[in-house]
Amino acid sequence: MAGIYWFVFTQIFNRSVEGEDPYIVFMLLALLPWTWFNGAISDSTRAFTRGAKLIRSTKIPRTIWVASIVCSKGIEFLASLPVLAIFAIATGAQLHWEAVFFVLALAMQFVLTLGIGMMVAPLVVFFRDLERAVKLVLRFLFYASPIIYGVSAYAKVGPEFHYIAAFNPLSGIFSLYRGAFFPDQLDWFTIAIGAVMCVLFFFLGLYVFKRSERAVLKEI
Amino acid sequence: MATVGGITVSDAGIRFRRNRRSRRNFKDLFAGRNRRTLASEFWALRNVSFTVEPGEAIGVVGRNGQGKSTLLKLVAGVIIADEGTVDVHGGVAPLIEITGGFVDDLTVRDNVYLTAGLHGMKKHEIAERFDEIIAFAEVGDFLDTPYKHLSSGMKVRVAFAVVSRLEEPIILVDEVLAVGDKAFKEKCYRRIEELLAGGRTLFFVSHNEKDLRRFCTRGLYLDKGQLVLAAPIAQVLAKYNEDYGVS
Repeated sequence: MAGIYWFVFTQIFNRSVEGEDPYIVFMLLALLPWTWFNGAISDSTRAFTRGAKLIRSTKIPRTIWVASIVCSKGIEFLASLPVLAIFAIATGAQLHWEAVFFVLALAMQFVLTLGIGMMVAPLVVFFRDLERAVKLVLRFLFYASPIIYGVSAYAKVGPEFHYIAAFNPLSGIFSLYRGAFFPDQLDWFTIAIGAVMCVLFFFLGLYVFKRSERAVLKEI
Repeated sequence: MATVGGITVSDAGIRFRRNRRSRRNFKDLFAGRNRRTLASEFWALRNVSFTVEPGEAIGVVGRNGQGKSTLLKLVAGVIIADEGTVDVHGGVAPLIEITGGFVDDLTVRDNVYLTAGLHGMKKHEIAERFDEIIAFAEVGDFLDTPYKHLSSGMKVRVAFAVVSRLEEPIILVDEVLAVGDKAFKEKCYRRIEELLAGGRTLFFVSHNEKDLRRFCTRGLYLDKGQLVLAAPIAQVLAKYNEDYGVS
């Protein structure tokens, strides 16, 4: 996957996002976490329908079914980090002290993914076609988040655009991940708004989950 | 009533939609209330209150569709009451649906570990009891067969063998045992008696009067989602027969 993106963007378009050399490392820093987010959300649409029988007859806290998906995808993400390391070494990218923010980014992404997962999982039980809608939104989010471009690209379009984009918590999270190799990508305004959004999403998710729990158990 | 093994149910009620399989989709959200098909709801159980002391054996009687299984599910905590409260002190080992908490695609072995593990048993504890469980279920040759390929009788055997070995103070048994053959049934009943002697609380649903009289000290009689009578089992059976019995 990373190889394809690298080929398309650096070889075919011959694109060089200024200051973001090596582009492959720049992109992987957002693409790998995105894979975690994408995988966890699209899997949590099936969290209740797939294991219906087991869930129907087990009395453990129901949030575990979502949390286990988020965790397993998170572990897959951590396991994919060596890919990033290999490219970083091969291209001679410079690691900065800002890499400590990686931990913060991990925590933010975990909270955010769990929140959205808890929102999506019960709703899909009631509205089966939501599964497709979620896929569509995820596809849109891929291009609407700074994955193949950087957070700084927003500022170039205009200040109000930069402001709006900050409300996409993924912007702040990817900005934090990128700080490890590209300290100029750290955009503290976006990160702060993103952190607040993550917590908001988490509590909204928890609320939706608790509200719909009993109805879900009757339905599956 | 904080003792382990007791159950307090007060004013519990739960409602279901009658047309629960009706197709609903995302578009309905935008369709406005009047264009949606109104879901007709009914109360499967309502105003049900009773207390169970630790170590008691309760028999639940009632005709089909009067809320017996729903009551067991409420006690097991796999569905949540819409009103009232269900307080269960201690863990519950449920044998409710034929499939129990078993996953079709996993092998018998994995299922035993999964179910026991979900009820908080450690890996080495399960390993200790594993042979005993398999011997009880008499499925020694099918350990690595996916659960879905077992016959329904074998499924129940495995389910009962595992559930009856769980270290939980409360045991729920629905009508599932009806599938087993006579010899196995007898074995199960002996096991249940053993457990009762060990001070476990039992919830037993059956249509077989003889079985009910054999195990249960008290009975609950459910009709039309209401708890009609909670009394010693002989009294409950008498009332049930009076209402619906063939004479």
